Amino acid sequence: MTQAQSTTPALPAIRAKGLSVFGHRGGQPVSIADDVSIHVRPGESIAIVGESGSGKSITARAMLDLLPQGLDAKGVVELAGAPLAGLTRRQAQRLRGGELAFVMQDPFTMLNPISRCGEQITAKLRDENGKRLSKKARREQAHIRLGEVGISDPAVADRYPFELSGGMRQRVAIAAAIAENPRVLIADEPTTALDVTTQKEILELLSKLRDTHRLGLILITHDLRVAFSVCDRVYVMYAGEIIETGRPDDLVGAPRHPYTANLIEADPPIDRRLGSLASIPGSVPAPGSRPSGCRFAPRCQWAAPECEATHPSLETSFSGHAVRCARADEIATDLVADLHRHRQTVLTPLRVDDGSVPVISTRAARRVYGAKVAVASADVDVYRGESIGLVGESGSGKTTLARMMVGLTRPTSGSIRVAGVDLAAARVSKGEWETVRSTVQMAFQDPYSTLNPQRSVGSALRDGLRLTDKSSVPRRIDELLERVGLASSYARRMPAQLSGGERQRVAIARALARNPQVVVCDEVVSALDVSVQAHILNLLRELQSDLGLAYVFITHDLAVVRQVTDRIYVLKDGAIVEQSTTEKVLDDPQHDYTKRLIGSIPHVELMTPR
Amino acid sequence: MTDASALTGGRITPWRRSARRLKLPVAVGISVLFMALAVICVIAPFVAPHDPTFIDPTKSFLGPSLDHPLGTDQLGRDIVSRIIAGARTAVLAPLALAAGAVLLSTVLAVLAGYTGGRIDAVIGRANDILYSIPSLTVAIVIVGVVGGGFTLSIAVLMVFGLPGNIRLLRAAVLERVNLPYIEAAKMSGLSTPRILLTQLVPAISPLIVTSFFLQVTFAIVELSSLSFLGLGVAPGSPDWGLMLAENRAALSSNVWAAAGPALCLVALAVSSNLIGDWLYTRYEKAGRSR
Repeated sequence: MTQAQSTTPALPAIRAKGLSVFGHRGGQPVSIADDVSIHVRPGESIAIVGESGSGKSITARAMLDLLPQGLDAKGVVELAGAPLAGLTRRQAQRLRGGELAFVMQDPFTMLNPISRCGEQITAKLRDENGKRLSKKARREQAHIRLGEVGISDPAVADRYPFELSGGMRQRVAIAAAIAENPRVLIADEPTTALDVTTQKEILELLSKLRDTHRLGLILITHDLRVAFSVCDRVYVMYAGEIIETGRPDDLVGAPRHPYTANLIEADPPIDRRLGSLASIPGSVPAPGSRPSGCRFAPRCQWAAPECEATHPSLETSFSGHAVRCARADEIATDLVADLHRHRQTVLTPLRVDDGSVPVISTRAARRVYGAKVAVASADVDVYRGESIGLVGESGSGKTTLARMMVGLTRPTSGSIRVAGVDLAAARVSKGEWETVRSTVQMAFQDPYSTLNPQRSVGSALRDGLRLTDKSSVPRRIDELLERVGLASSYARRMPAQLSGGERQRVAIARALARNPQVVVCDEVVSALDVSVQAHILNLLRELQSDLGLAYVFITHDLAVVRQVTDRIYVLKDGAIVEQSTTEKVLDDPQHDYTKRLIGSIPHVELMTPR
Repeated sequence: MTDASALTGGRITPWRRSARRLKLPVAVGISVLFMALAVICVIAPFVAPHDPTFIDPTKSFLGPSLDHPLGTDQLGRDIVSRIIAGARTAVLAPLALAAGAVLLSTVLAVLAGYTGGRIDAVIGRANDILYSIPSLTVAIVIVGVVGGGFTLSIAVLMVFGLPGNIRLLRAAVLERVNLPYIEAAKMSGLSTPRILLTQLVPAISPLIVTSFFLQVTFAIVELSSLSFLGLGVAPGSPDWGLMLAENRAALSSNVWAAAGPALCLVALAVSSNLIGDWLYTRYEKAGRSR
């Protein structure tokens, strides 16, 4: 993927120099992104990676002149050597879509739902006289463009976006974006909403188009694996500025900024189970409250007094590898050694079945919605203190199965036994429900809707606590908060005052309020940044060893599964296609589907630093 | 978990922090002031300079003077005193009406939205029928036929205040019934009434507040319309709508006899609207999830 570099002409397809983005608060400008310089050559792909709040999307939008209302940009953006500043609104409009194309994260909202795909792809196409193409020519163009993005079925041009799958939609969106043969394609998290197998296809497609159309590809992503596996160069952003940039091999093998090293360490490996995941203390500072010195200094384990005093500049060391760290040279060897040591940490052993009676046991559990079979026939056992994973892509039925296990969804047929109570029975008595509730609890995916926005953290925990025991509730709220690593002052906070990771901690605390034996975790970390994800995964493992909890872990992320589960059930179209211990399934998959899932994960040698 | 305590700083952006501070826009400040004045008039009618019902035919339609700041009406009654006495019906009645309408709507909307099925269908269709009836016209007919009465007009308008609120609140309930926090409440074993009271109602509370103040505004206008038509309060009692009707003939002799209560009505309606709007924004911001 790096051969593109050898043939690069001198002129970059797009270059941003000293690009800064400002918001305004109380008449004062608040800087969101500072002095960002990025360039892409034709046929080259770069990635901008960073956690939420790093300013990566805002930077891309500033390059496209698509900033939201109230934000202003300063600096120079040049397209093929010509500055964009000073263009009239009309000229700028023609450039966007023409020379500069944009693909967004969500394929569900990016396309217009009431217009056919073919029309959306050809909407802006004009012939050499600036006239709209004839109907026939547009059809032809639509078919050609669809062919370019790997859709061979011409009928797709006549379909509406909602008739297509997420991956197909993303393809159509890309077809529309490249319809005018742009020089630059900016893709903002193009695969985040997609399944891993689809993600692989889309990434391959983007790489292919980069080569065939000599596109300058800018990929914005939070996913290190994606960035490192597809791109020629990677820019790492933190708190509004680029802190390190270089080739993926250099960054993975010898990161020079502590933040990059931390990010790589925090990303759970797919091929081994670590003793504990590295996490970064604290959180990304918000615009307006960023430190004046090195912005990472307060969270940095290498920080020295001089780091907080002066703001380091981006220094290029060799072969384009640049870093914004005052101590980069001093700590270089330590940093790599540290990374190496981290990857050598002891593996935690898997728990093995001790032959006891399962806490939850489903037999031939089946759930249908009308004609659609969500779960066909599932046999799952959850034993005390172990953790199992339900793995599969969207629509595989893993969430429905989990919801049946906790009694939120009634099975159509089959049996679901939780602590001896059959949830599929015609009538489940009140006492039996009590048994179920105090045996199994659930934590949900979306940190933003998991807590009632109008109720404080304390009252969210109080409900469950009062139902187990009415005495000394305030003290037990403090204990619960402490269990999940939050100060007792959090009880008075409202959800809006919490970060995503803190909300998930509260949600886990709420699940623990009833002292359950099993906690069902429905994608609890998938919406979190990688460093926060590491915090939560460590917390879950700690709770497991302290409280002897069992987990049912629903996730699409096999690296996460590797870190927390003992056994895995792989689901496809509502049926369990493979089940065994985590090691067996991930290291030696038997079913074709499992093999495909594992093969789709962007492959990076994060494991072996040089 | 020392790493987590470092998270305590949280990700509350300074923007949100300043939004949460009490910031009172000028218009809302004036509204609150006016509301406060109106409430003082309600609880302490003795602040009036004259007896609002004292008749002195010799002082008919006097212009503004030191003794009578807004002059007098046909029967020589002091306008300011009558406005102060009229605040009672002008403020209390709409508040009672709105409180009743919104309370009933909330109960019905939560019931319909949460249980769904047949209950939802019955409430929904009854609501549609009620919605299709022109409220003020029917209120005039009913109150007129039955023979007037302030309580009756409040009751009738309260019923007609339901449909809009039920629709709004039911939609809000439907949006939230399947959210994880409601499911988590079910999972923790809370009983259905408790889920409704402690989870669902707080979740839609910003909307309830807005509905309430919007309803107050409507009620102020509708109730004074009825009074204006002579269908509300008993003739002779101090009421802003009624004063408007009594004194509209005398615009040339003492314009303030009609303009005073009219301006008070407008100010009251606008105030309640502004306060409601501002409360909603603050409330919604405090609980906003993203």
